[in-house]
Amino acid sequence: MDLLLNEQQLMLQSTVQDLLKRDFTKERLAEFDSGKADLKDQWDSVCSTGILGSLIPEKYGGIGGSFSDTGVVFQELGKGPLPGPHFTSSVLAANLIIQCGTESQKQNYLPRIADGKFIFSVAISNLNQSVNTIFEDFRLAQNGVSGVRLNIPELRLATHVIVPFTSEPGIQGLAVIPTNTYGLSIRPLTGMSTEQYELKTENAEIEEILTGFKLSAFSSALIQSTALLCSFQVGGLERVLEMCLTYSKTRHQFGQPIGRFQRVQDHIIDIVNYLDSAKWTTYEALWKLDTAQESKVGIHMAGSLASEGYYLGCNAAHDVHAGVGIIREYGLTLHTKMSRTLYSYLGNPRYHRNEIAKALYF
Amino acid sequence: MDFELEWTKDQEAFRKEVRMWLQDNAPTIFEHPDPANLTEEEYLLQRSFGKALGSKGWLYPTMPIEYGGGGLPMDLAMILEEELDLYNLALPPYYDTGGKLGSMAILVWGEHQQKSYFLPKILSGEIRTWQLLTEPESGSDLASVKTTAILDGDEYVVNGTKIYVGSNHGAEYSWTIVVTDPGGERHKNLGWLMIPMNLPGITVEPMDLLFVGGERGAASGIKNTVFFDDVRVPAFNLIGGENNGWKVASTHLEIEHGLLRSAVRGDPLTERIVEYARENKNGGHFYIEDPYVKERLVDFFIDTEVTRLLHFRNYAWRSQGKQLTYEGAQAYLFQKRSQLTRARAVLDIFGSQALIADPDPEAIGGGHIEIHQRSSIVDQHPGGTAEIQRVIIARRLGIGRSEREEPGKLN
Repeated sequence: MDLLLNEQQLMLQSTVQDLLKRDFTKERLAEFDSGKADLKDQWDSVCSTGILGSLIPEKYGGIGGSFSDTGVVFQELGKGPLPGPHFTSSVLAANLIIQCGTESQKQNYLPRIADGKFIFSVAISNLNQSVNTIFEDFRLAQNGVSGVRLNIPELRLATHVIVPFTSEPGIQGLAVIPTNTYGLSIRPLTGMSTEQYELKTENAEIEEILTGFKLSAFSSALIQSTALLCSFQVGGLERVLEMCLTYSKTRHQFGQPIGRFQRVQDHIIDIVNYLDSAKWTTYEALWKLDTAQESKVGIHMAGSLASEGYYLGCNAAHDVHAGVGIIREYGLTLHTKMSRTLYSYLGNPRYHRNEIAKALYF
Repeated sequence: MDFELEWTKDQEAFRKEVRMWLQDNAPTIFEHPDPANLTEEEYLLQRSFGKALGSKGWLYPTMPIEYGGGGLPMDLAMILEEELDLYNLALPPYYDTGGKLGSMAILVWGEHQQKSYFLPKILSGEIRTWQLLTEPESGSDLASVKTTAILDGDEYVVNGTKIYVGSNHGAEYSWTIVVTDPGGERHKNLGWLMIPMNLPGITVEPMDLLFVGGERGAASGIKNTVFFDDVRVPAFNLIGGENNGWKVASTHLEIEHGLLRSAVRGDPLTERIVEYARENKNGGHFYIEDPYVKERLVDFFIDTEVTRLLHFRNYAWRSQGKQLTYEGAQAYLFQKRSQLTRARAVLDIFGSQALIADPDPEAIGGGHIEIHQRSSIVDQHPGGTAEIQRVIIARRLGIGRSEREEPGKLN
C-alpha cells in the first residue's frame, strides 16, 4: 500500500504546474472563457512539454507512462482548467488507435499525436444511452462518410477526426478523416460551454478505417479514456476548492472572514466531499487499469462522481463567492462552463450509474 | 380559503379596456432569449411604451394618483399584468428596479416636496432609475458600504464605487445608498440619494460577467461598475434624512427580498421544455416517453408550481393587508434554489444540447434553455444571496436572534 505520488509522477506534476504558471495565467485563461484565446499558441506550448506522449507506448514515440502517471498530468491540466484538444487527441483518439488500429496505423498516427503534429478529435458527445448510439449519426457508403453531430469538442485545431459510423449493411466502424477533406465542415457553437462544434460530413473521403475495430475494443478504449477525463474533472474541482478556501479567508463581511460563517463553511465542506469522493475513486480506478484488474465498475463510479461533483462543486463555489464568482476575470466561470461541458460528454451520471447496475447485475 | 381568481363584471370591463388599449399601443412582441441583446431601438420602443402606460397611471398601477400612479387596487393591477403578460411584457416593461424599489421607499420616507418632485418622474416613465447598493467590499453586508456623501453647503459630495449596477442603455437617475457620517455608528451612518446620472464625475463601465438574467425583457443582461468622483448632488435629493438610511434600506430590502415578483407571471420555461421533450427524439424515442425524463419533468413542474404558489400567497396576503414576516424571503429562496435544481434536470435530460445558444440548427427551446443554464447560477446572488434569505427567515421565525426581527416598513 502506498497512496502517495511516486517520483516520476511528482516530476510530471511539476512539469504541468510549470506550464500553467508560465503560459496560462488567470488572464490568459479568462480569454478562453470569452472565446478570445489564441489556440495555436496554446497548443505549441502544451506540445513543448512532451506530456502528449504520456499514454503512448515508447515504441510509437511516446513516454509509455501508466494510466496513473497520465492521470497526474490531466489532474494538473484540469486545475486551469486548460481547454484544448489534449484530451481528445492524446488520450481518446490515441486509445482508440492503440486498441482498434493496425500496426501501420499506429506507426503512422501515434508518434505524431505524441509530438503534437497531428491533433485529433473524436466525433463523440453526449453519451447518455447505450454506446451504440455513438455510431448512429454517420453513415459510411462507397462515396464516403455522411452525417452530422452536435457538441463535438475541440475541432478548431484538429487535423484529423475519428468518426464512428454505421455502414450500409449495418456494420459499425471507425473512420479517420483529415479535417481538410472536401465535404467535411465544422461550425463553432456558442453557449454555456467550452469549445464545441457541429461536425458535418457529406460524402467525405476517409483516410483510413481502423480495421481492428470491435465494439469491445472500442468500449474498452472509451472507458479507459473516461478514467482520465475524471482526473481532469478532479483537478478542476481541486482548484475550485482552493479558490473557495482563499476567498473565504480573505473576504470580510460583517467584520469577519466569511469562512467563519457556518452557512459558508457548509458549502465548502460539500465541495471537499465531492472532491475526495471523485478523487479517490478515480485514483483507485487508474490503479486497477494499471494492474490489469477488473476496472469497469470503478471507472463508472468515478465517472459518475466526477461529473456530478465538478458540477455541484461549481454551484457551491458560486454560493461561496456570490457576485465575485460570476466576474469572468476571477476565473471561476471557466470551471463552471467546463463542468457543464464535461457533465454528459463521455457519459452523464445517470449513464454511469446504469452501467454500474448492469455490471453488478442489480 | 379560495384560490380561484374570480372576476366581477367591473373587473372584466377593466380587462376589456386594457386589452383594447394594448391592441392599439403595445409594441410587437419580441421574444429575446437573451435580454442583454436588446438593441437601442428595441429599448427605446419599450421606454416609449412605458411612457404611454405611465400617462394612464398603468406603469405603476397601485401607486397613488396624486404622484402619477394609477391608484388601482391590487386585483386590477393583476389584470393589467395578466394582459401585459400575453405580450411577453412586465411592469415596467424595461429594467427599472431603482424606480420600482426607490419609489416605494420615497413614498414611505420622503418629504412631501421630494415625493412631488421625484415620484411623478418615476411613475410616468419619464425617467429610468438604477439601484446602486453593492460595492467591491460590501455585498451581503450592505451596512458596511464605503461610498461617502459629505454635506458641503447645499450639496452632498459623493465619492466611491458601486458594482453590479443596472443594465444597458443608461439611466437618468441612480437610487444609491451612501455613508453620510463616515465616523458614525454602524446602521446610524447611512443615507439614500437620488443621483442624476448626468452629473459631472460619474463614470459607467460595463462588467464582464457570466451573464445576468432577466425575466422576459424586464431586466437586462448588462451590469456595470459606477464610479463617483467628487460628484456634487443637491441636498434636496437625500431621501429619509441624514443617517437614517438603514431604516430606508429596510423598506427597500423588504420589497426586494421576495415581494417584487407579481402573482401572475408564470414560467414559460416549463412549457418550452415539455414541448421540446414531446417533439424531439433521443436514441429512437421521444424524450417524453422515457419514464426517467417524465419523472424529472414532473420535478421541474412541481418546483415551478410551488414557486408560483408561494409568490401568489404573498401577493394575496399583501393585498388583503396581512402582515408578512418570513414569507417574502421564503418565496425568494425557493425561487433561487429551484432554478438550480431545474437547470440540472434540463442538463440531465437533454445533455450538452442544453448548453447551445446557437440558433442554427435551432437551439433547444429557442435559446431560452441555454440562457437558463447561465441565469440559474447568476440568479442566486442579486437581492441577497440564498444564505441571506435563510438568515432573514430564521430571524423572522424568532430563532436567529434573542428577539424576533420585525419586517421593514411598507407604508
